[in-house]
Parts: sequence; structure tokens; C-alpha cells
Amino acid sequence: MEAFDALMGGFAIALQPTTLMWGFVGCFVGTLVGVLPGIGPALTIALLLPLTYHVPATSMFVMFAGIYYGAAYGGSTTSILLNTPGESAAVVTALEGNKMARRGRAGQALATAAIGSFVAGTIGTLALTFVAPWVVEAALAFGPAEYFSLMVLSVVAVSAVLGNSMLRGLVALGLGLLLGMIGVDLQTGQPRFTFGRPELLDGIEVTVAAVGLFAVGEALYLAWQGRESKTGEVMKLSGSLWMSKSDWARSWKPWFRGALFGFPIGAMPAGGAELPTLLSYYTEKKLSKHPEEFGHGAIEGVAGPEAANNAAAAGVLMPLLTLGIPTSATAAIMLSAFEGYGIQTGPQLFSQQGSLVWTLIASLYIGNVILLVLNLPLVSLWVKLLKIPPPWLYAGIIVISTAGVYGAGNSVFNVGLLFVFGLLGYIMRRFDFPAAPLIVGLILAPLGEQSMRQALTISQGEWSTFFTRPLSGSLMAIAALLLIGPALWRQLRAKTSS
Amino acid sequence: MTPFRVALLLVALCGVAAWQVTVIPESLMQMTVGPVLAPGVIVGALSVFAVLYGVSAWRGRQADESQAPDQSPLPGANARVLSLLGGGVAFIALVIPLGFVIPGTLCGMGVAHAFDAPLNLKSAGICAAIASTFWFVFAQLLGVGLGPALPWLI
Repeated sequence: MEAFDALMGGFAIALQPTTLMWGFVGCFVGTLVGVLPGIGPALTIALLLPLTYHVPATSMFVMFAGIYYGAAYGGSTTSILLNTPGESAAVVTALEGNKMARRGRAGQALATAAIGSFVAGTIGTLALTFVAPWVVEAALAFGPAEYFSLMVLSVVAVSAVLGNSMLRGLVALGLGLLLGMIGVDLQTGQPRFTFGRPELLDGIEVTVAAVGLFAVGEALYLAWQGRESKTGEVMKLSGSLWMSKSDWARSWKPWFRGALFGFPIGAMPAGGAELPTLLSYYTEKKLSKHPEEFGHGAIEGVAGPEAANNAAAAGVLMPLLTLGIPTSATAAIMLSAFEGYGIQTGPQLFSQQGSLVWTLIASLYIGNVILLVLNLPLVSLWVKLLKIPPPWLYAGIIVISTAGVYGAGNSVFNVGLLFVFGLLGYIMRRFDFPAAPLIVGLILAPLGEQSMRQALTISQGEWSTFFTRPLSGSLMAIAALLLIGPALWRQLRAKTSS
Repeated sequence: MTPFRVALLLVALCGVAAWQVTVIPESLMQMTVGPVLAPGVIVGALSVFAVLYGVSAWRGRQADESQAPDQSPLPGANARVLSLLGGGVAFIALVIPLGFVIPGTLCGMGVAHAFDAPLNLKSAGICAAIASTFWFVFAQLLGVGLGPALPWLI
């Protein structure tokens, strides 16, 4: 009840015209940076940090929260329409979303992404309001061994995106894991696979790889085919742009399940938004009544991961506000903004800066509504992009991708990598290797290795630590069950039917 | 390019990666698992997958879209791919000396030409408009460091 009263107080401030205006600016800028590949919310907020000297703290944080939520919304748009993920968490959305768009269902894909983002964002914010302490406690129970087990579970979930051939999927996953090893080993400081290039010491940016494989790779493949310019249009749009009754029926459960994945994993240190989107995709593929549609444009494959992505955004704010622990790059920059105002985040924040925190939380609810209102009408505008003739559309995609990658690090080397990944994406597309396992491997390899080595250091080299710790053991058991279970089930069914 | 050649490329990549694993410097720190184990296991696994893929490709069981009837490329495929990549190379070579807009325009023209747009003034105008718009959005509105728009502003 106390939380509810405080939240109402927060709404009273957040609904004042000036605060609302900052929230709207944040949502708009956030949507824009989400749409633009390479430019994430962390960079945008970092660029806006100097404003902290001129703008009151409440307004500033309301705008930052709008940027953060808006980026999670906007990332899906280019994934769906142009197969160009604006951020790494939107890679999974591209798998089914772009296929839906290619089947003339771009409007429905964008709508389920926007509404799912709203639903999951609201669930995440509700959880942030009422259950923050418990979720944070549970999230902090995750030690390195549990993280490693979670990574193993995620590797099992990769089987959902292995594509037409398990062998080619495994090659792609292996390549991704290998690329994820590039850079300085964080525990010993030794360079690995860098060929003496200082640019590779920080490893390969996931966004560069994702934009290269998906956007540049797709453009190269279509240019190689040479059919796109003959038809004169990129995709056909057919029927209504809005979701049918069946689309709603197939979307609402994935929205809720996606939120359940996204929020707690987002709240974990190093949880991020990529793992929950992958786990959500895997779950929806397993639970769907239309599994044959996966890989050809299944609406559940857009609804679930998009919801997971947005719920993770809310989850990330929880440890930041309650414990002062930034669990993502964006949260770390927001933490420095708090420090810029002389505000200490952590357990005392709610008592010492109650008005600011509750206004921020209230603005998250309002921001979600603003984003829905902003994004749903934009659906019909976004799909008009597909009417642009192919030469100019692809020129725009490649120039924006190049600008995004160049602008993110001011690195010509990264632009070169973008085109190298584009070439790799073209080869993979031509020889039917799926691109998603490569991205997943790139994300999981450094995280998994770090967790494994930390866990083994703590356990003094006891590999059994992954199985004897209750939470870690449970995750391993689930992973084993998911790996062996379906095959056993098929054998059992074959035996009973024969 | 055939699936078998892709397999050869993969095997060559694994060879280079294995060599790189052997040159990872020894760490002076005492630890249970050093910096070599994970890369070694990954390179080993990838090598196995690459060989299996090679064997499968040798037997003609791997896909190549250029052989599929509705996916095969129209004449001039290599020129189109090179045109697109050429746009990228132009951007990489010129962005530091010439600022963003001119290399962005050339990059766009290379891409558009890959989709059969002629290399003429109209194409240059449209691509210049695209590059200028993105420079304005990124550099002016969002404050992202793309450098100057044009060389005389450097």
C-alpha cells in the first residue's frame, strides 16, 4: 500500500506538462536510436550526459528512461522490415519478423511487436514497483556457476535456430563461438586471435557482426541474384495491416511468457536482453500449435522475443535503483548521471530520493503508453518504406548501417569488418548456413568462458560445482532434459504407435 | 564457389585458428583454467564440424542456392556483388580525407548500381540526399561523431 501511495505521488509529478514533454522527447529519440543500427541507448544517453548540468534531475531521468524503453521498441522495426537489427537484442525478432514481412504481413509483425513491447514493458514496470526486493535477491543468488549453467541452457536453446541442417547450424554456432573468443582474455590479459591488431583487443562488436550478416549480407545476396530490381519492389503487402483475431489469439500468451523470461534475466548482473529473447523464441517454437510456420514467419516468434526484450529493459533498472548495481552499459551510464547529480543509488535511494525514484517509475508506465501511441500509428508509415524502389532502399540501408557502425566507434576498421561480415553473410545465405547461431555464439562465448573460469576458481578446480549447487544443477538438469527429452519422447511415441 | 570449396575455406580457417591457439602467451597467473582451454575446445569442435561438412559436400549433399531454379542468379552476378563491395571500399578509403557525405554518396551509388541503377547524375543526387540526411540525423540531431560532412569543412 505504501508503494502504491508513493507511486501515485510519482504520477502526480510525472503527469506535469514539463515532465511529460521530456518523457515524450526521450521516447521519440529512443525509438529513433532503436531504429538506427549501431547506435544504442547507451551511446545516446552518454552523448546527452552534458545536459545534466542544465536540466533538473527528474526531467533528465524521465528522458533517459524514455530513451531506454524507446530503443527497445524501435529495434524491432528495421529487424522486421529490412532484416537489419538495430541492436543485438533484436536479432531474434528478425528471424520470424522479416519472414512475416516477406509474406506480406509486415503490419501484423510490427503490431504484435509494439503491443507485446507495451504489455511486457508494463508487466516489467509493475514488477519493478511491487516485487523489486525479492527479484533482486533471487537474481543475486546467481553466481558464476549458475551463469555458466544458464549459458549451457541457452546453447541448448540455440537448437531452435539451427535451420534446415543441424550440421550447418553447428558450423555457424562454432564460428560464432570462435569469433567470440577474439580479444583480450579478461582474467589474464593475454590477447587471443588478434593477429597483433590493436582494434581487435576489445573483441568483435555484436552489433557490427549482426548488421553485417543480416543487412549487408542480405543486400549482397539479393544483388547477386539480381531479381529484386526486376520485380521493382522489395516485398508485396497484402490485406489488412492490423492483427486478426487469430493473430491476437496466437500472440497474447507469448507476450506474457516473454515478459516472464525477460524481467528476471534482465535483473541479473550480465543477464542482458539477448538470452531471454533466445529462450523465448525456443519456448514459443516448442509450444506453438504451428511449429511448421517457424522459419517461414510465425507470429509467436516475433511476439515472445519482443516482449522478452522489453521486459528485460525494465529488469535492468531494478538492481540499478535498489542496489546501485549497473547490469548493462546503459545502466552504467545512467548510474554516472545519478552521480553527476550527487545522488547515491542503492538501498537508501528510495528513502532519500523517494520523489525522484517514484516519478521515474511512474514515467515508465506513461512512457510505455506514449511508445504504444507513437508506434502503432507509425506501422502504416513504416511499411511504406517497402514501396521504395530496391536500388534506393538498399543504398539507404547500407549507408545507414555504415554510418551507424562508423559513428558508434569512429572506427574505419569496424566499417571494414561490417563488409567482411556482409560477405560472410552472403556466403552463409547462399550455402544455407543460418546466421542466428553465429550471433548467439558470439554473445555466449565470452560470457560462458568467463563464468566457467570464475566458477572453477571459486570451487578450486572442482568441475562438479556446476552440478552440486542447487540452482546450477537444476539449470543443467533442465538443459539435459531439453536436449535428450524430445528424442526420447519421439522414440517412445514411435514404439507405442508401432 | 561450391559447398566443397566452402568446406576447404572452413578447414583453412580452422588451421589458422589452431595456430593462433598455440601462440596465445602463457599466463604467469596460477589458475585452474587458463586462456587456452576454451579456444582450444572451440577450434577442435569447429574442425570436426568443418570436416563433416566437407565430407557431406564431397558426396554432393550440401546446398548451393545457385543451383536452385527459382534462386539462381541472373547474368552479371559477380559484377553486381563487386559493385556493392566497391561502394564499401570507397567509403572506407575516403571517409577520413573527405568527410562523410562524398564517401557516403559513392557507397550508396555502388549499392544502387548493384541493384541495376545507372551510374548517372540522378543516382548521384539521390545518394547524396540519402548520405546528407543520415549525416544530419546522426551528427546534428543525435550528436554522434561522424566527422565533418564535406572536405572543406575539415
